[in-house]
Amino acid sequence: MMSRLITLLLAGAFAGAALAQVRYEDLLAGPGKDWLTYAGDYRGTGHSQLRQITPANAGSLAPRWVYHVPKSNGLRTRPIVHDGVMYVTNTNEVRALDASTGRLIWEFKDTRAKKENVNRGAAILGDRVFFVTADIHLTALDRRNGSVLWQKKYGRIEEGMFSSAAPLAVKDRVIVGVAGGDTGMRGYVAALSASTGEELWRFYTVPAKGEPGSETWGDYAEWGGAATWLSGTYDPELNLLYWTTGNPWPDFYGGDRKGDNLYSCSVIALDADTGKLKWHFQFTPHDTHDWDAQAWPVLVDLPYKGRPRKLLLHANRNGFFYVLDRVDGEFLHATKLVDKLDWASGVDAKGRPILAPGKDPTPEGNRVCPGVRGATNWMSPSFNPATGLLYVTALEQCDIYTSSAKKPEPKKNFSGGGAGPKPVDLGQFFLRAFEPSTGKRVWEYPMTGPAETWAGSISTAGGVIFFGDDDGHLVAVDARDGKHLWHFQMGEGLTASPITYEAAGKQHVAIASATAIFSFGLFEPMVPAPLPVVRKAP
Amino acid sequence: MRSLAILGVGFALALALPVAAQNVEPKDPKKRHPAIGNPEAIAAGKKIFSGSCAVCHGPEGQGGRGPNLRQQVMWHTLTDEDLFKTIHTGVPGADMPGSNLPEEQVWQLAAFVRWLTSPAMEAPPPGDVAAGEALFWGKGQCGNCHRVLGRGGMLGPDLSNTGARRSVEQLREAVLDPDADGFPGYRGVKAVLKDGRAIQGVARNRTNYSLQILDSKGALHLLPMSAVKELTLSAHSPMPGDYKTRFSRQELDDLVAYLSRRSVRPYEPSSETK
Repeated sequence: MMSRLITLLLAGAFAGAALAQVRYEDLLAGPGKDWLTYAGDYRGTGHSQLRQITPANAGSLAPRWVYHVPKSNGLRTRPIVHDGVMYVTNTNEVRALDASTGRLIWEFKDTRAKKENVNRGAAILGDRVFFVTADIHLTALDRRNGSVLWQKKYGRIEEGMFSSAAPLAVKDRVIVGVAGGDTGMRGYVAALSASTGEELWRFYTVPAKGEPGSETWGDYAEWGGAATWLSGTYDPELNLLYWTTGNPWPDFYGGDRKGDNLYSCSVIALDADTGKLKWHFQFTPHDTHDWDAQAWPVLVDLPYKGRPRKLLLHANRNGFFYVLDRVDGEFLHATKLVDKLDWASGVDAKGRPILAPGKDPTPEGNRVCPGVRGATNWMSPSFNPATGLLYVTALEQCDIYTSSAKKPEPKKNFSGGGAGPKPVDLGQFFLRAFEPSTGKRVWEYPMTGPAETWAGSISTAGGVIFFGDDDGHLVAVDARDGKHLWHFQMGEGLTASPITYEAAGKQHVAIASATAIFSFGLFEPMVPAPLPVVRKAP
Repeated sequence: MRSLAILGVGFALALALPVAAQNVEPKDPKKRHPAIGNPEAIAAGKKIFSGSCAVCHGPEGQGGRGPNLRQQVMWHTLTDEDLFKTIHTGVPGADMPGSNLPEEQVWQLAAFVRWLTSPAMEAPPPGDVAAGEALFWGKGQCGNCHRVLGRGGMLGPDLSNTGARRSVEQLREAVLDPDADGFPGYRGVKAVLKDGRAIQGVARNRTNYSLQILDSKGALHLLPMSAVKELTLSAHSPMPGDYKTRFSRQELDDLVAYLSRRSVRPYEPSSETK
């Protein structure tokens, strides 16, 4: 029996592999049964078509399984799900789990990586899973068994960088970025071939000397930062990638980098085929508060002042909620995302902030709102087409910002100062629902907690919004009015945003806690299972 | 008075230890002792090992009266310097005596013991790599089940990185005795389902309640056990167990030489074995 079993196994070993391919068209379609990109869909709406879970039944949600990621701490991963298999990342690692049961199918560990840092997730295309190692290698794995196909180094950690973002697969290429803007580096977005890893183009977010925009820097453009540490979004019709950029360096002292510091704290629109800059919009010129622009540019088509427009919605760390035309980057309007906002009195007709006096960091410390964590951050926003509302996790907080005029030294953990709240002045998180075309707050859900969450939200066609709160709960609320439907205490702080998917015919909601992946579904009484009949071949 | 005397001894030791340690701790933690990873030092260390250590640790370090030195779990926390000190001073309270050998020879022994568990890529063994590669894809039919950078079969472990993860002796053992590591995640399995279908492959995972089978075509079957009528598990690894007779000694050396050099990244020595 045994030898026959082995013979049969080997006989088929070279047969053509049957695997449901993930096509570009599947990625274009957005989340149905699967969750195929970090943001769920190219438009960054975080909205799924699944509708089994509704406001009427969400109260009976129950945990279905938990997978503890070995040796993890502060997981930033947002799972990808395809055809019943979930792919989760940790530092230099990818694991494939059975999305119905949480059982491990395979794991890949790059034990030779020269750096460790957080990892936000994977991308899939064809029969491959892609992820970045902390030491800036894009890695292609076979989805079936986790075997490695190639690794391509696309940056040097010796230049002050590392890598953490989930890659974005677009057509035949994989778009990647780099992190490290708090200690001096030069950011870029790059496209690598999905089949070979060959670099197809690269766009530097800090122009080289002599290039347009280089005049907006002083002496430190070479180390100017503007890191690209979060995936972007993509409009297939315009063939434009929208990528947000990080702070200029040094973070809190701008005396050596006089000017706007392009393209830091901006959204850049890049041609996906060539990497050429189509337009840019800078939210925070000459930032001195570490207000990276990393948050999804959410792409929606809505009527604006009487005519349909292709909009880009962006809730920024600096406290404003922006609406742009994503065809040409025209600024349409900005409203307050938070009430605690005192560094600018508003924005002018072109969207440039109208600065309030005396709000730069000082050697003694200066209280400024919002705080350094931002009015929002990289936690996922979501948009529900049925309600027409955008859901944003917002933090009402002010911090004491200090600065140091010490000569900047790149790669030495120098950020030109620092920031943090006074314990008595700790802020509060809210989930807020906005009407995009006006910026009007329709409802809000206040949270309790230590003002430390990194969890965002997802939207579903069932009319339920799921989000991680500041006290370690996964929470379900009604998309229409924010009414509480369900919550579950995960036992630790949340550092990633949820997803939803279907496996074995059932809708699930999953989220990474600091150390584990949790998956939930509607409660069903368990059918007693007799022990299986297992024979052991001799 | 007595306690003072003990304190005094302790103080003297505390003073002495850092001085003694200076002989073995390199100033730059990334700089290893030249013996570590050096093929000549490893060969010399093996010779000394056979004469002095093998009686307890086994001729190939596989253990006996003394611990198995080829199991990484025993040694993964030891730095090169810890290893040197253990060989030099022995293990107090156990049967292992200290060594009277000159420092250079202790380092050679340390190099050999480290080599037993170090990634093969660190000091790849001699052998005809091209001949080993030809064996892998040809006569040995290894590529039917194993992959190297996307080429090959699906059922067995990916070997693209095996030289950077397994020691030379582990590689040799994996070829000669596929059952030795218990082959977790690679047990041959046949599931007859209640709907009449039969699925064969390797069980990547299995509980009383669910089963994850990878079949030879590379398709994953994620099954609740409630759908399975009968499950047959192989007692042995799906990998053939007769390579000892199928390959000549030279062919085996060639194959291990090829496998030892499989690493996706170029090999760079680390400061310590992790």
